[in-house]
Amino acid sequence: MIEAIQLTVNGDTREVGVPSHYTLLETLRYVLGLTGPKQGCDKGDCGACTVLLDGVPTLSCILPLQEAIGHEVTTIEGLADRDAPHPLQDAFDITGGAQCGFCTPGVLLSAAALLTRSENPTREEIRNALSGNLCRCTGYTKIYEAVELAAAALREERASQEEAP
Amino acid sequence: MKLEDFRAKQAESAASEEELHEALEREFHVIGRRLRRTDGLAKSTGAAVYTDDIALPGMLHGKILRSPHPHAKIVSIDVSAALALKGVHAVITGSDMPETFGIIPWARDEYPLCLDKVRYVGDGVAAVAAVDEETACEALDCIEVEYEVLPHFLDPEEALAHPETPIHDPKKPGQNGNISKQVRLEFSYVDALMEQSDAVVEGEYYFEGTNHTAIEPHCAIGYFAPAGKLTVWSTTQVPHYLHRELARVLDLDVARVRVIQPPIGGAFGGKSEPFDLEFCVAKLAMITGRPVKILYTREEVFYAHRGRHPMLMRYKTGAVSDGRIKAVDAKTILDGGGYESFGLVTTYYSGQLITAPYTMESYRFDSTRVYTNKPCCGPKRGHGSVQPRFAIEVQLDKIAERLDIDPIELRRRNILEPGARTINEFRVNSNGFLQCLDAVEDAADWRAKYRKLPYGRGVGVAGSCYISGTNYPIYPNEMPQSAVQLQVDRSGRVAIFCGASEIGQGSDSMLAYIVSEELGVPLDYVRILSADTDLTPVDLGAYSSRVTFMCGNACIDAAQKIRQQVQQAVAEEWLCRPKHVKLAGGWAFNALDTEAKVPISEAFNMAEAKYGALGATGSYNTPKDIHGSYRGGTIGSSPAYSFTAHVAEVDVDSETGFVEVQRIWIAHDCGRALNPILVEGQMEGSAYMGFAEAIMEEHIFKETGLHNAPSLLDYKIPTSLDTPEMHSLIVESIDPEGPYGAKEAGEGPLHPSIPAIANAIYDAVGVRIDRLPFSPPRVWKAIQQRAEVD
Amino acid sequence: MLRLHPYQYHRPRELGQALQLLSEHAGDVMPIAGGTDLVPNMKHKLFTPAHLVALKGIDTLHGVERRDGEISIGAAETLNAIATHPLIRQLLPALAKASGAIAHPMIRNQATIGGNICLDTRCTYYNQTLFWRKALGYCLKKDGDVCHVVKGGTKCVAAHSADTPPILMALNAEINLASADGYRSLSLDDFFTADGVCNTVRQPHELVTRLRVPVPSPRLSMSYQKLRERKSVDFPLISLALALELDDKQVVESIALVVAALGAKPRRIGGLDKLTVGERVTAEKVEEVAQQAYRQCNPLDNIIVDVEWRRAMVPVYVRRAFREILS
Repeated sequence: MIEAIQLTVNGDTREVGVPSHYTLLETLRYVLGLTGPKQGCDKGDCGACTVLLDGVPTLSCILPLQEAIGHEVTTIEGLADRDAPHPLQDAFDITGGAQCGFCTPGVLLSAAALLTRSENPTREEIRNALSGNLCRCTGYTKIYEAVELAAAALREERASQEEAP
Repeated sequence: MKLEDFRAKQAESAASEEELHEALEREFHVIGRRLRRTDGLAKSTGAAVYTDDIALPGMLHGKILRSPHPHAKIVSIDVSAALALKGVHAVITGSDMPETFGIIPWARDEYPLCLDKVRYVGDGVAAVAAVDEETACEALDCIEVEYEVLPHFLDPEEALAHPETPIHDPKKPGQNGNISKQVRLEFSYVDALMEQSDAVVEGEYYFEGTNHTAIEPHCAIGYFAPAGKLTVWSTTQVPHYLHRELARVLDLDVARVRVIQPPIGGAFGGKSEPFDLEFCVAKLAMITGRPVKILYTREEVFYAHRGRHPMLMRYKTGAVSDGRIKAVDAKTILDGGGYESFGLVTTYYSGQLITAPYTMESYRFDSTRVYTNKPCCGPKRGHGSVQPRFAIEVQLDKIAERLDIDPIELRRRNILEPGARTINEFRVNSNGFLQCLDAVEDAADWRAKYRKLPYGRGVGVAGSCYISGTNYPIYPNEMPQSAVQLQVDRSGRVAIFCGASEIGQGSDSMLAYIVSEELGVPLDYVRILSADTDLTPVDLGAYSSRVTFMCGNACIDAAQKIRQQVQQAVAEEWLCRPKHVKLAGGWAFNALDTEAKVPISEAFNMAEAKYGALGATGSYNTPKDIHGSYRGGTIGSSPAYSFTAHVAEVDVDSETGFVEVQRIWIAHDCGRALNPILVEGQMEGSAYMGFAEAIMEEHIFKETGLHNAPSLLDYKIPTSLDTPEMHSLIVESIDPEGPYGAKEAGEGPLHPSIPAIANAIYDAVGVRIDRLPFSPPRVWKAIQQRAEVD
Repeated sequence: MLRLHPYQYHRPRELGQALQLLSEHAGDVMPIAGGTDLVPNMKHKLFTPAHLVALKGIDTLHGVERRDGEISIGAAETLNAIATHPLIRQLLPALAKASGAIAHPMIRNQATIGGNICLDTRCTYYNQTLFWRKALGYCLKKDGDVCHVVKGGTKCVAAHSADTPPILMALNAEINLASADGYRSLSLDDFFTADGVCNTVRQPHELVTRLRVPVPSPRLSMSYQKLRERKSVDFPLISLALALELDDKQVVESIALVVAALGAKPRRIGGLDKLTVGERVTAEKVEEVAQQAYRQCNPLDNIIVDVEWRRAMVPVYVRRAFREILS
């Protein structure tokens, strides 16, 4: 049954006509055309579908669409500012944190949520925050380096903003 | 972050003028630097478009009906109810594509959809195209298939023992139809030299089957344009081979077929041959006149498989008292699964590829690949050589102990000289194995740790060698293995067209670095269009670690042609010699008078004015006749070989059997690191994959032939919390034939993980685990048994 | 990808509405909170209810508070909320640990403690796609009549796989259930049954509303231990909780040890009072308890891991639980 559902995705609120039994991932990828979140395992085992729901990392492939009503969904397409990449995206590019790039959108959002909670995460905290995102290419090392680099960049940004109001 | 800050950071990574002048002193100004990839930001912003991200107008969804039986004849298929279902546009079965295919041209044993029998649970028998995936699934439920169930074999030795139930028709009458391939080769005289050995070690090793588990499942889209041209988008790593097979099976003129490979979410050898979904989307598109997409579920990826062959290996190794290897005798049974795939090659590799890095005075191997009623095995990173490498490296560890020689020292005493031939006559040019051993010995503080750590903690070492591509392509021909076409715009923009498959390893970036080095353009002036058979010259694909070596050389070939034209044109303007015209960092300048400089676009314009439109093709073909003349001597011959050594440090919890790998030091001779970040990425990713196979991966089956665990929950790959610390140590032996001396780094670094961990477990708790994976129950039982004996 | 069947998703704001819906659509309705277990199971076509009743929007199912000598936990609290809640961390640290060890961060953000308590039992022959199960010929738990774990078995042996029940049981928690017919409350021990097909006494029209844990005595220490193959994502192979009350001379006043993940019902190890109450906790005593647990635990091949090893790990983790408490 097609229902008109009001969704807020990456800052835009609009009505979407979608089969009411769809998951959030199906809606994002196949109805809204936001193909950043990926389909890797069908049922929540790999983390490639991770999006932020009110800033909280969530598996969109097992979230009934209607659970997203009234909440803010952020996909990888919504992470950056209008014209410049988020420090995490830039850091991934610098350290080689993305190889095939398929797990990257999910990993980035989990990492972004971590950096919102924790300004200077330890390597252990980073590993824990990413423990639901499987990566088959990198062995994770350069992903950790990217998160640490981005955390440093964000701290610097914050410090310079505080200095010059 | 503000845009101006981001742009400033990007500019930082481009060379400043001072750096450029310095670069004149150094050999290269781009090659060897830690640079960004060309596709990194597209991937980290979600902009990269993978195959399942593509939606075409009017696109239908396809699904494949699969056999629930491991071995059965297809008696009849009734698709009428499915065809009658609302929303279904087409249904096809095996008889719609009655042409066999296979990656090895003389072993075409698969139909796109099974014609007369099925050989494993998951073998495809019919396909539908419908308005959406749900309708397609419903349609599958309506298809009635009558099977005549046959006895099935899950164990190769059992299959061998029952030739009366052949999984495939015998290749010759009277032969056992369950034998896929048999290779027996002997070099020098093993029995005699074994007799002369002071220490002889025998062992039986078992390497379990594993899956590639790329995070992206296979996906393909077919579109048959009204003008009669077929386009297939696919997650393939071999667009050229797919191109040929599609045309042949579908009986189309190959010039009217186009294969496009979008960015791939991982491959590792699991996407290196044609699969059922590619033929099905093409055929369904031809019948319906609409685009058709098929996306595998994760379960289907396990059924398509083509992963690591389970191998049962019986090894006998003899050495004299100073450690030199006299004889190696290997008997191997490969469990091939239901079809051939690359089976012939795997069977050869299982013996041919362990004759380096060590010299051995004699060598004999006897490998038999057997069909079983399971998903087909094929190439997985380190194709066919990871398993025997496990066996030989543990054998060496046992010999070292028997002779009371340090295992690293033992390896030093058996090194192949650079430029030498292996016992099976492969030419090994550059060889940095000694430096690899030195590097890990030093970084891991080996001498302080080996046999000196407290019970439960240990270190182990292993070495390996791997090919940088194969000298002979999969279908025999004299044409180049790789080609690149360059096109230069007046703005300075350079386009690279190459058939090479970017699978995440960085091949697109590698080509850009080469062009940036040779033509002096900034990286963001370079555009790469790869893997589109309508637009790119042929490259054979991303397999056997060939891309850097072969496409790199082809790219240098093309780029240097243009460079020479640019240098000549500018030299004529500046009245200097062409060799003094340097192209770097966005400028052309006079090496003798650096004030004389122009932006690179101007230099290109001078060349275009003189020569006409600027463009060049470059190719690379492999050396022939650098292999033995015996039958099979070409298989394993490569223009260059990489070398690797690992030391693994483990912590074994003897109460539970859990093996925690704390650290892996990886030293890899890649010839030259064109971009160290990319090389380290391959080293770490390879070591991760080897570690995963050693500790937790198991592609196994229940008695019924059903896959034990066809999901990413049940088939275990390591999470961030499971993965050890990895330390990459790049060794550069500068290969005489590689692009700037580069060799492979994508598969070699995986091999030593498994034996290094096995040897470390022995150092830690005194038990040999000769079977994979080194799971807690297995390790725990071995420790219990040892305790009972003691 | 695996697609879901068409269902209607109801989002009641009040408990009464939810209970009404469960009655109204009886036979073809299921409650859903986080959905992290139910949705994958629906993708496997193990459950295909035409109606789903979402619980997260119901206020009375949320909240963690201390009242009347109990800690009252709303069933719809997420696992992450339980793992980080100051009251839980202070008074029920092993519950915080157990919640925080479930699956991985994203699951913990979505899943609820009520859902964890009601987690469907698991088995290698059951948690598979429809194609796989049909090829097998189905099983006793779903659509078939044969158990593939115990040949010839007539009772389903699918395993309880949740992490929070052992510590809740060891602390003598009670569970509140509500339905259109009324309310009832029972001990968590009585909530579970040894039936792999459905291992709780919750009726289809009932909802778990709250868990109530008596505030532990200040002399009570607790430990949660989990064995699983990987360090994240995986369900437990053993899920074990120990609650131990010692006097100031290290003499045992009360003990409770619950081991789960081996059978359909978490097993409260019996005979421990006799063995330990009034005695000091020595290494020998710990070993006696560990061996008692070993004797009473019999894992089966419902999860494909070596059975002998899994059983042998029970005493190992019992010892580790004691070690955590005593250190």
